[in-house]
Amino acid sequence: MKNWPWAILAPAVIFVLIGIFSPWIMTHDPAAQDYGALLQGPSGAHWLGTDYLGRDMFSRIIGGARTSLVAMAFVLMAALAIGVVIGSFAGYVGGKTELVLISVIDIALALPSLVIALALMGVFAGENFSWMSDYWKMIVALTLAWWANYARMSRAVVVAELQQPYIEAARVMGASHIWIFTRHILPHVLGLVVVYASADAGALVLAIATLSFLGLGVAPPTPEWGQMLVDGMSYIEENPALVIIPGLALTAVVVSFNLLGEAFALQKVPRAVRGRFLARKKAARAAEEAARKEVEA
Amino acid sequence: MLKLDRRSFLATTAGLSFLTFLPRIAFADGHADTLRVAIAGETGDLDLLQNVSTLSSYSAVFDALIHYGPGGALEPGLATAWKIAEDGLSISFDLREGVSFTDGTPFDATAAEWNLKRWMGVADFSWIGIADAYDNITIDAPNKITVKLKRPVPAALLELTIVRPVRFLSPKAAAGQPIGTGPWIVESYSSTETVLVRNDAYWGEKPAFGRMELKVVPDELARANALRAGELDVIGGDWVAALSPRRAKALEGEGMTIVAEPGTATTILGFSPKSPMMQDKAVRDAIFLGIDRAAVATVLFEGYADPTADIFPTTVPTAGARTPVPARDVAAAQAALTAGGWTGDASGWTKDGAALEIAFLVSEESFPGSRRIAEMIQGMLMEVGVKTNIETVDNATMHERRPNFDYDLTFFATYGAPYDPHGSLGASFVTASDTGPDGKIYVHPDLDALVATALETGGDAREGAMQAVYDWLRDNTAACPLVVTQRLWAVNPRVKGFTLPATDYDLPFKGITLG
Repeated sequence: MKNWPWAILAPAVIFVLIGIFSPWIMTHDPAAQDYGALLQGPSGAHWLGTDYLGRDMFSRIIGGARTSLVAMAFVLMAALAIGVVIGSFAGYVGGKTELVLISVIDIALALPSLVIALALMGVFAGENFSWMSDYWKMIVALTLAWWANYARMSRAVVVAELQQPYIEAARVMGASHIWIFTRHILPHVLGLVVVYASADAGALVLAIATLSFLGLGVAPPTPEWGQMLVDGMSYIEENPALVIIPGLALTAVVVSFNLLGEAFALQKVPRAVRGRFLARKKAARAAEEAARKEVEA
Repeated sequence: MLKLDRRSFLATTAGLSFLTFLPRIAFADGHADTLRVAIAGETGDLDLLQNVSTLSSYSAVFDALIHYGPGGALEPGLATAWKIAEDGLSISFDLREGVSFTDGTPFDATAAEWNLKRWMGVADFSWIGIADAYDNITIDAPNKITVKLKRPVPAALLELTIVRPVRFLSPKAAAGQPIGTGPWIVESYSSTETVLVRNDAYWGEKPAFGRMELKVVPDELARANALRAGELDVIGGDWVAALSPRRAKALEGEGMTIVAEPGTATTILGFSPKSPMMQDKAVRDAIFLGIDRAAVATVLFEGYADPTADIFPTTVPTAGARTPVPARDVAAAQAALTAGGWTGDASGWTKDGAALEIAFLVSEESFPGSRRIAEMIQGMLMEVGVKTNIETVDNATMHERRPNFDYDLTFFATYGAPYDPHGSLGASFVTASDTGPDGKIYVHPDLDALVATALETGGDAREGAMQAVYDWLRDNTAACPLVVTQRLWAVNPRVKGFTLPATDYDLPFKGITLG
């Protein structure tokens, strides 16, 4: 990883920048239809051509990046907050509360996140939720499907940290639970979940696109890559660019976020955490070796 | 190391060439007399009383008393002549003599009576006027029957041409055995294919080839590719294996023969009669005027659709006088809103503090391609200042919301031949009718009375009564007809003399020869 070109991470960075500055980058209104310029190839007027309603593909790709980025940011922040709160609380409090909460987390993890999101979208399709737009339904559904991993990780970190002597020392010195949690445990929890979230961002962009592909996400005319893909499918024979362009954008961003997560995991995780992990692993291996020798003897 | 001299190279090449041609040789042996037609769903056992099989194959196997001809002309089927009594309360039929079912059972008055009593007077089939009005049947002679009715049913003869349940099954057929008198006999059926062989004893014009294989290919692109590869001979037909205009255009460019003719079903934008927003006629008028039907027909239907402002096209009987198709007029649409008490401009409209915002319910499952049409309409209405929110839902949600009028706008289509105009009028524009998940296009007490009169009026007065319905719908902007999609089929060059079947519920085989 150390020797990998950092350019690989460029799509993720560009995606974020485009998402933020898209109104200034788009050359056309992404919803503007022009029946005189249907399914055109790239040109000076339309850098990536036009779609079946004569809409500018470049502007729709840029607009789609913003749609995905905003949804991804909302879902990641909400899922991370819910997961950290529930997981940390379970790990810190322990006992029956932990047992109940960990059971809920296990149930949530037993099903693929996308399946849960699809089921929730089905529930939200009912009249009771008609006050929510499809976009917010998607964000809520993905958040509720995505928090469990963060909760499980948070709990594991909290349980591990609570075993450490410095926590015991802090308690002996009379530190409050809030103090111990916010000053000593939360930084470790966040260190890990943020690294995971950076890799998870790609999966989330893909999930947003998948829901839109299935017609459950963003409503027209808002551009969204998954929806552009499904719309382009009908024209795949005569104009494959309608599928290839959003497909490539999606692929680049997902791969890039995955690599970003990996880079963070290998290089940005606090050295102390890695050191302890390696020490524990070394000790376990030594114990296994000793046991094996004892059996042989 | 492999050593390749010229002789072995030539021998290998010749061998490979032979192997390449093997499938074509096999095809030539096995399929020369076979027409291979795509169907979108399996045929099943073609039970005439159950709504489980696709509609496309019944007319190939089963005959009706009367057949639907071009433009709605009534053609003799198993009845050679018919006569409606002056009071409209009985219809007598002269049955075709010398006809047998393919199991050898003779078709006569007894067999006809047995068949008709399976659905006439049965509650499940009350949606058919003649079944609902049925009183009794009398056998007047070995080949003559009379159906007596409790009330006149002017569309009775047209109703006898529909796909099911009106066709005739052998009284001796065991359950699950599709035995009729039609030009084709079911040799086998499975989830992937139904094989029909020619009925050499057929009373009418016999097909020019001996075998028809109905291949189940649910995906439209796969059907087109199979046609290109020569694995299918014919694809198309709205109720057989729909061919999209875009795909037809692509196939036409590749040398396939595309057969397109004016359609019989209208795509309609429906206004919910229960939506407060859509109860405002000014809003309906604005939408009616704000849509460019010609652009919809050209851009999304590749020209394989005809813009319309009428509920029914002239390809169905008593479709009424023609309404000129309005050109899109944004200024007129905005003027309609202003006249209706709305204030605003292209950036938005308000009335009594409420913003003009419309929920457009769309389901790709229910109506493939509808989201693209909705997007186009959304763009057009945006220029008028009408904000449209497209809600894309699955089939189940559509089936739940449409019957409850839980939308502002949504798409409908009329049934087309041979069901129209009486079928769509009696179902989709009547408050009391049971259309199940299909919902209704528009209902109103005044409209109920007009439709009831039109459906009960026969003879020369019928056209006027029907026109009164069409006039009411137009004057009240009760619905927004968009286009009449053309009937589209694509044909492999080996198929000669292809002519469209009478309706898109029928399989094509008449007049076809195989090269």
